[in-house]
Amino acid sequence: MALPAARKMSSGMSAGESIYLVEMLKGLALTMTHIIKNIFDQDRFRTVEYPDVRKSMTERYRGAHRLLLRPDGKVKCVACMCCPTICPAKCITIIAGEDPNDAAEKFPVEFDIDMLRCIFCGFCVEACPKDAIRMDTRIYEINAYTRQAMVHNKTYMVNLMDGLKPPAEEFYRANPDNAPAGFAGDEPAVPVGQPFVNLAAGAEASGAGRAR
Amino acid sequence: MPKVKINDVEVDVPAGTNMIEAAALAGVEIPHYCYHPNLSIAGNCRMCLVDIVGGRAPEIACNMVAREGLAIRTDTPNVKKMRQSVMEFLLVNHPLDCPICDQSGECRLQDYYMEHGNYDSRGIEEKVSKHKRQDIGDKIVLDAERCVQCSRCVRFGDEVTETGDLRLMNRGDHTEIGMFPGERLEHHYQGNLADICPVGALTNKDFRFQRRVWYLRETASVCNGCATGCNIQVCHQEGEVFRYLPRRNDAVNKSWMCDHGRDLVPGIAGLNRILRSKVDGQAVDVEAALSSLAARLKAAKTVGVVLGNRATNEGNWALLQAVRKNLPNAKVYAVAGNDPGSVEFADKLLIDADKNPNSAGVRLLAGVDGRVGDAADLGSALGSIDLLLVLQDDVLGRLAGHGKPAAVAFLGVSKNATSEAANILIPVCHTVEMDGSYVNRTGRVQRLRRAVTAAGDALPAWLVLERLGAKLGAAPGTGMVATAFNAMAKVVPAMKGMEFKALGDAGLPLAVEPAAVAATEALA
Repeated sequence: MALPAARKMSSGMSAGESIYLVEMLKGLALTMTHIIKNIFDQDRFRTVEYPDVRKSMTERYRGAHRLLLRPDGKVKCVACMCCPTICPAKCITIIAGEDPNDAAEKFPVEFDIDMLRCIFCGFCVEACPKDAIRMDTRIYEINAYTRQAMVHNKTYMVNLMDGLKPPAEEFYRANPDNAPAGFAGDEPAVPVGQPFVNLAAGAEASGAGRAR
Repeated sequence: MPKVKINDVEVDVPAGTNMIEAAALAGVEIPHYCYHPNLSIAGNCRMCLVDIVGGRAPEIACNMVAREGLAIRTDTPNVKKMRQSVMEFLLVNHPLDCPICDQSGECRLQDYYMEHGNYDSRGIEEKVSKHKRQDIGDKIVLDAERCVQCSRCVRFGDEVTETGDLRLMNRGDHTEIGMFPGERLEHHYQGNLADICPVGALTNKDFRFQRRVWYLRETASVCNGCATGCNIQVCHQEGEVFRYLPRRNDAVNKSWMCDHGRDLVPGIAGLNRILRSKVDGQAVDVEAALSSLAARLKAAKTVGVVLGNRATNEGNWALLQAVRKNLPNAKVYAVAGNDPGSVEFADKLLIDADKNPNSAGVRLLAGVDGRVGDAADLGSALGSIDLLLVLQDDVLGRLAGHGKPAAVAFLGVSKNATSEAANILIPVCHTVEMDGSYVNRTGRVQRLRRAVTAAGDALPAWLVLERLGAKLGAAPGTGMVATAFNAMAKVVPAMKGMEFKALGDAGLPLAVEPAAVAATEALA
């Protein structure tokens, strides 16, 4: 196969674009539009002064999961295992148990979601035949100082909308009986707001070695 | 051999075959609930209705015996409509229990609805409610609402266990399965009821809510509970075994297995397992334990070696090879009998009095060797033995009351009296953790398959003994179980022409009459 004749090198730009000047002015115009908008129409400010101001999410926003209760106060979930089966991140762990005094027979003894693995796809909500799990909390601040505290367990997810606020770590520290396995309730190694210092390397003693 | 035609596919089938089986031979699946290959024909579910070419009306395939020239069709609009209508009838009063039902994932109602049902519900009436969650036996929970009245369990009780305990009661859509008042299932084959139930009406208590079946992988293996050697599927997930299911083999166990066999599952990962090798109480690695074992075997004046009735043929053969070639003074014994603590129960159906899965294999190899002593020989010699090497059997437990050997080396799966007394302890694999072969009581060589990874440092016994043989001075083995089996089959006359690969799922009978295998007991 013969190679094509020397091709004209093209940057993909039109003649007008290749002058740059017009495009530059367009860019400056956009910037100016936003500046003027932000000055005269401050309610529609795009940037939020987080964390002093917190953005309110739409109803469809997929936030932290919560578990729903039946009118009699028991969890709706019957541990059918549909959500851990559909979960593409394999972040849901359910241990099923039998409740001899309940018509539903089956219930989750443990229901853990590892928020570090969750990709917030919402498949668990769609797969649930009992409407037992929802992601309508609009909670997006999911963080902790330890990996164990990033596991949201049954008690936490049941109480999430019921006066309970994230992060889970504070709830687990206040309720050690309901904390996930391995959660030691450690205080953060560095007080919030302080620069991180590598304690393990003994940097504190030497007074040096402020990490990035 | 009548020739029948299923959807234009002509197939020769054995005389007496019904058309469900004939269609299966032709590669056509006919859906069915009440038909079971190892039970009588009931013909009450109507799911297997097919059109007969040139026939007047549709007929049920399960009760249609293949005859020359018979032609059926399963792909006509009429058959499609019949299957859909039958599904609609069966599901009219079926509760929507799928989220909590253990049968989900292996339920014929779910499978056939997706394949043949797929209709929009026309139900406007209230569903008939029946008795749910009835405790009818030690192993079984009955939910009468989920039942489709196929009567498989009734026929199982009538024909297999002959206990006649489950019955269909009442009429019409109030028909339900139940027990006589005040009675419970008493037989040892209750688990099979959950297996043959095509829906979730009968579920297994031990497996209840343990794991969804779609997570489980299945490995074809053999039960190690007794000499019958029932063919099983080992259901496991991520290295954990959850249940045994019987695997159909009409030459051994048909489609059944006993509850004692199913009860062995918790023992696989139980606290009783031997996990690390030890020499004089000190934990060492397997290689070091084998080195000191080889040194002590060479140094000992009188060595006793006991073949394992619970070990595979390959393990026993590797032990015989290691000893016969390198320790000319060692005496080899085989100790028949059951380990203390085993379930002493036997019946005519499947449960054998001999609780060792490979006694026939030991008798066979002992017969080939010709110089193997029995329990009485070992019992009288026990006190004078310097080092007793035991493979898997609880020999000291079986011979309790006789003398004690000066030292014991034990290659075993679980802790017992012999492991307690052992100076050298080496863990070996459980049946579900390795490949190998057993010979069952009828002289059938059956293949084990590795389902899960071994617990702790355990290795297959034959591999450990091949390495021991190498340390004692024999040529090193290839470390492959197929090679080990094939080398053994070349020497053992009854295994003439057998190859490990050819054992397949169903196993192969020894080239001697079962009676001859039993007769070699005199040698053992």
